Amino acid sequence: MRQATLLVCAWALAGAGAWGATLADLDRYEALLAKNADDIRAGSEYRQAVIQLKQYDRCIKFFEELVAKSPQAANAYLNFGFAYVDKIPDAGAITQVILANTALSHFSKSIELKPSWIALYTRGNSYLYWPKIFGKAPLGVKDLEEAMKMQKQDKLRPYHVRAYISLGDGYWKMDDVEKARAVWQEGAKLFPNEPRLKERLSRSGDELAKYIDETLDPNKRVDTNLHELWEDQ
Amino acid sequence: MTGRVVLAGALSAGLALLANGVGERWFEDVTAKAGITHKHTNREFKNPYAHIMAGYTALGAAVAVADYNGDGFDDFFVTDSAENGKNRLYRNNGDFTFTDVAEAAGLAAGNDAHNASADALWFDFNNDQRPDLLVIRFGQNQLFENLGNGKFRDVTPTSGMLGYKNAITAVAFDYDRDGWVDVFVGSYFQPVNVFNPDTPRFFPESFETANNGGGVTVYRNNGNGTFTDTTGKAGFALAGWTLDLGHADADNDGDEDLYVACDFGTDRFFVNNGDGTFTDITEKAIGIDTKKGMNVDWGDFDGDGLLDIYVTNITDDYMREGNFLWRNNGDLTFADVSRETDTYNTGWGWCAKFFDYDNDGWQDLYVVNGWVSAGKDSYVPDIFEMITRPNIELADARNWPPMGSKSLSGYQKKRLFHNEGGAGFKDHAARHGVDSVRDGRGIGVADFDNDGRLDLYVANANAEPYFYRNTLPAGRNWVQFQLGSPKANRFAIGAQVRLTAGGRTQLSFVNGGNGFAAQSSTRVHFGLGKNEKIDKVEIRWPSGAKQTLENLPPNRIYRVLEGKPKAEILIAKASQR
Repeated sequence: MRQATLLVCAWALAGAGAWGATLADLDRYEALLAKNADDIRAGSEYRQAVIQLKQYDRCIKFFEELVAKSPQAANAYLNFGFAYVDKIPDAGAITQVILANTALSHFSKSIELKPSWIALYTRGNSYLYWPKIFGKAPLGVKDLEEAMKMQKQDKLRPYHVRAYISLGDGYWKMDDVEKARAVWQEGAKLFPNEPRLKERLSRSGDELAKYIDETLDPNKRVDTNLHELWEDQ
Repeated sequence: MTGRVVLAGALSAGLALLANGVGERWFEDVTAKAGITHKHTNREFKNPYAHIMAGYTALGAAVAVADYNGDGFDDFFVTDSAENGKNRLYRNNGDFTFTDVAEAAGLAAGNDAHNASADALWFDFNNDQRPDLLVIRFGQNQLFENLGNGKFRDVTPTSGMLGYKNAITAVAFDYDRDGWVDVFVGSYFQPVNVFNPDTPRFFPESFETANNGGGVTVYRNNGNGTFTDTTGKAGFALAGWTLDLGHADADNDGDEDLYVACDFGTDRFFVNNGDGTFTDITEKAIGIDTKKGMNVDWGDFDGDGLLDIYVTNITDDYMREGNFLWRNNGDLTFADVSRETDTYNTGWGWCAKFFDYDNDGWQDLYVVNGWVSAGKDSYVPDIFEMITRPNIELADARNWPPMGSKSLSGYQKKRLFHNEGGAGFKDHAARHGVDSVRDGRGIGVADFDNDGRLDLYVANANAEPYFYRNTLPAGRNWVQFQLGSPKANRFAIGAQVRLTAGGRTQLSFVNGGNGFAAQSSTRVHFGLGKNEKIDKVEIRWPSGAKQTLENLPPNRIYRVLEGKPKAEILIAKASQR
């Protein structure tokens, strides 16, 4: 009973990103996930603890074993992909590519099992980090357009702003600046106080290019905490 | 009436621009005019892996500056890498024209079926005050003694330096302070015969932590024309893919420390223990990196009396490593401030040199870049297809895709970073016409016409070089020092000079060949801006002795000898004034 209460407290703090994780926390989350591999919240919070402790390889190994045991757990694959993404900022430039490539394959598996908004958004957004020469931006736009369709059939949720931001970035990466601005503007009408949209809409030309380039810098840590998903429930 | 107003306004705006130096070009491309006509050619290998090696050996265009004939004008040696390519010794005619005298000097033959020139280094190994020449090669290095009559003698067989190295860089300094300049050679490939390898496993085993390269070899000068390999004893058991070495006294304790830039992995920082050994303090000093270290140059960019380090890496949209501008904290630790100073991204960087091109008293930076500028197709997808293949054995050359006629980080613009008073840098390369897109490798900085303005020689791979004459307008003062020690370490490699003028003290030093594929002049140059008076010059000699000179008139080239109280005028040519 007491243990369960502590874990709930830890979850709450994890959502706010303000707790000091310990190796014991990792043990506890792994035990939870072993019971329910598809628990997206436990998986996300486990990874936030992993980031604090820089236990990336342990996390990757854990999810590797978890999906082997639970091959139908779409959210386990999603978190498995994120486990690779979480390691990227701490890796060398070449390893970053290998990690990103592996993450994509796990995101794809997750979509194959369950084409959820979060999985489509995640894979679509991931494609945008790839240099232009790899031609992945159109793939990203395709996923993000799909995520956009899904969210438009849903009630408006705070995290839906992400799709407006990323889809606009995707169009921008495909050199369709007009379409990019239209999506950001559409997002800004729904989320008028969203600074990331304001930043984009206030820039143009080289200034905008620099801003997006810096935003999509793989050396900067991407916030992979999925707490917005359940905070809105 | 209106027309007059417009004209007057335009004129006044134009004058204001001139006063600020905006829009003026301060470098002139004089390559052809100076008589520099050769083209560097990459080596084409003839072995089973030649088609793969071609993509990874666009190297060997180097320049080394020295006044080899002691006439008061800096000359330079440049390398070719083709099997029948001749190395060149350009003698300075004193009027900004040059004559290739390599054949007559006995220095032209640096390439054959078993050796490819990669770099060159002038240093006085026998303390006769004549710069001798070390030609760095894939194969066997060559050491030439300067005989003083315009001719050189190959002394490699008796020097103790004979041995197979795939060397690519070298610096010379007196690490044990015995008065004889020692040599540090950095090698890229391990010592396999790259012209006819007996194994395909000689490529880097990793892109980020490769430990199967050529490392560093230390040759201690015995003082009798021979050298002893003291690599292990000195503490350099390394196997990285060395691309450059840079020495300086990081902690102002009187001895020279060393930065080792490595491709495919971790750069290393060695502190000199003062007893003929070094300690690897990489983790404490700079941390462990996984980048592609290409160049090391030292200079006090922020004017705090400590020498900082600039290291180029690879920055492109497919590999965002970023350069290092290591700000010296003064306690043998460094902080990378490349982002804050806007020196982070110079593409696929190669040589970078600190120098004060506008004589304002602040160290600017010139950076060359670009790997292979060839066809319009990119090699990036090919290389990443290999990288993402599971369980790929990178050390096996057969797994690497041939580059063919594709480009990789090609056609990149060079950068001339103007130092904005120590706070950061702004790129002025385009303004000054030094933003070429050839595949740059080495930069030789010297005042070739002794006019107080630093000129640039750029060695390009598989292309013609660029020779830029500095045409900075009159109005800024300067001073140069050619330092010498009468008995030992004759060119005073490692000597530090602190110059005070107008309330500011600048630090510079005599370096023994820092910078990738490039050695600049051993003269120490200071820009003085509008200061008409030099208050004080403090020299700390390699021996540890200190000397102070006061009230020297500016706009002179001085010769200062250790132990002699007065500076003598080497050359009094102040053409700017």
